[in-house]
Amino acid sequence: MNSGERVTFGKFLMLLPMLILLAMFFTSVVTLFSNAFVERGGFSFKYFQQIIDRPDYHVVFYRTVLSSILVAILAVLFSYPIALLLWRANTWRNMLLIVVLVPWLVSLVVRTYGWIIILGPKGFINAFLGWLGVIETPLKLMFNDIGIIIGLTHVLVPFAVISILSSLLSIEENLEEASRVLGASSLETFRRVVFPLSLPGVFTALMVLYLGSVGAIVTPLLLGGITEKFVGTQIHSEVMSSFNMSKAAAWSLCLLALSFVSLVIIKLIERRALRGQE
Amino acid sequence: MNVHLSSTIQTSDGADGSIDVNAVSKSYGSVEVLSSVNLAIAAGTFVTLLGPSGCGKTTLLRLIAGFIEPTQGHIQINGVDVSGVPTQKRPIGMVFQNLALFPHFSVAENIAYGLKIKKVAADEIDRRVARFIGLVGLDGMGDRRISQLSGGQKQRVALARSLVLEPSILLLDEPLSALDMQLRRQLQIALKDIQRKLKTTFVFVTHDQEEATILSDTVVVMGDGKVQQVGTPQDIYSNPNNLFVSKFIGELNEIKGRVTASGRDLTLETEVGPLTLPASAAQGFTPRAGDEVVVCLRPEHLHVAAPDAPANGSVALAGQITDCLVSGPLTHMGIQTGRTILSSVMMTQAGNAALPSASPCKVLFDPAHARVFAPLSDRLAKAFGEQP
Repeated sequence: MNSGERVTFGKFLMLLPMLILLAMFFTSVVTLFSNAFVERGGFSFKYFQQIIDRPDYHVVFYRTVLSSILVAILAVLFSYPIALLLWRANTWRNMLLIVVLVPWLVSLVVRTYGWIIILGPKGFINAFLGWLGVIETPLKLMFNDIGIIIGLTHVLVPFAVISILSSLLSIEENLEEASRVLGASSLETFRRVVFPLSLPGVFTALMVLYLGSVGAIVTPLLLGGITEKFVGTQIHSEVMSSFNMSKAAAWSLCLLALSFVSLVIIKLIERRALRGQE
Repeated sequence: MNVHLSSTIQTSDGADGSIDVNAVSKSYGSVEVLSSVNLAIAAGTFVTLLGPSGCGKTTLLRLIAGFIEPTQGHIQINGVDVSGVPTQKRPIGMVFQNLALFPHFSVAENIAYGLKIKKVAADEIDRRVARFIGLVGLDGMGDRRISQLSGGQKQRVALARSLVLEPSILLLDEPLSALDMQLRRQLQIALKDIQRKLKTTFVFVTHDQEEATILSDTVVVMGDGKVQQVGTPQDIYSNPNNLFVSKFIGELNEIKGRVTASGRDLTLETEVGPLTLPASAAQGFTPRAGDEVVVCLRPEHLHVAAPDAPANGSVALAGQITDCLVSGPLTHMGIQTGRTILSSVMMTQAGNAALPSASPCKVLFDPAHARVFAPLSDRLAKAFGEQP
């Protein structure tokens, strides 16, 4: 900090919202710790031991992580062309951006119910395929991993579009023209210039999407059914049905640790991929 | 490498590197940015497109580059019509105003870009890149990141990146405009030097008339979407076609007036009083009695003398010195003459410095140096930010 700079009351005031947020975060983490290790008034590892011992709990973690990786990748694959289109559409960009963001105006629960209408046993897709005669019995598109992945991808796509678009928009003007003057076709220009420079946005998207998916509750709850549990839905049912706060806290801490480890891994991959880029 | 380069120089001496712009117009909706431009650029020359912002010079450059297609007319490069030919297939290089260097590549990778696209062998790429890094004076900086370079160094990378492909034509869109004066001078000299060595056709866009004068073999003055005049810098300075060109290049005294009679001599009633000039002073149009005109005189053609000095065939105007600045070899003077103040530049002579303000004097000029032009059209006047 500049030695001549003084911490005035005004500056402190600007810092205040962040301090409140930090305080809330740490309070909740401390509460989690104190709940997770306490059983009947005494110190206990019981619920952590449970997670380590029970194979059906392992499956919940595997499902959450693998589905989230898939969701992050799928959503980025869907979002990249949309972001490219928005980037190209100079005059229509803001209009189209609203179209991308409009689902946010509808509650998450309503959107997810929309998917039930489309994916359900008597939903749009099954009805259409049945009418075509392609299938005789309805495909199982929900109350399983497929439903969760489709639902989460849909929910998270706008985040990815915004992240990738902002990266594309920060590409300096004329770089594409410069590449073409140097003899590159549009495709080569994309491969050698546009895509590498959009990678920071792609990685931010992957990170946000993965974290958003790992912690998801509503979508897995509605589209995943009873048996196909996510870590988030497990915590939800411990709190809302079993009222077992200690178990919920133990699961939450595991989720927190998992997110943190994943974050570090994604950052390491990003650094490798962007080596040489400033 | 040397063999390759010298063969390029030989072909550049022919039609390789020539540009012909034939009746090209470019409109965006109802706005015509270029109207019916004709221009022939000879191979191996340094040509400047000069004009105020909005005159269409950058549009013309982008048309040559193929980023946009003309609304009417066509462009030939090396004698071949390039209508519909995409940018990447045109034999051109370009240096952009913002340079457009690839931030994710090093200096050497930036310069190698075009060669990699052309699938030149790796060792050949290395040799050529090394040579052009040397040519633009960036030895030892090949591994630097673009963000580690100064403004001038970035210019040199942009130049090398284009030149390494040995295009027959290099387009430069005000590449020096962001630099400070001193660096600008250095790079102007470097540019001119490189152009002479490679004999590549350089088409350089600028709004800086001094830059145009220093660099170019040929200056193309543009205004209001049209070519106003083409010529050597000296030619354009001494024999401007019209008031626009005259005003745009160098300092100018403008005396507004009205023609009272025309014949072998032109008689005018002006801001500085009645003037009689040879009819040849009016170029490009024939003034008739009653026409509004502008008499133009360069400051170096106005000679300030004592009130009783003999005229000796010059036109003489009585005036009063308003200010007198001696800067080394040159003396700049302002002289109140009639309703206007004329400026004069003369070689400093002993006694000049002593000229007191408000002292009466006589302004003398050779009538052969006077130019009479029609006033600027409203649209051209707007280019100078003047009220019509």
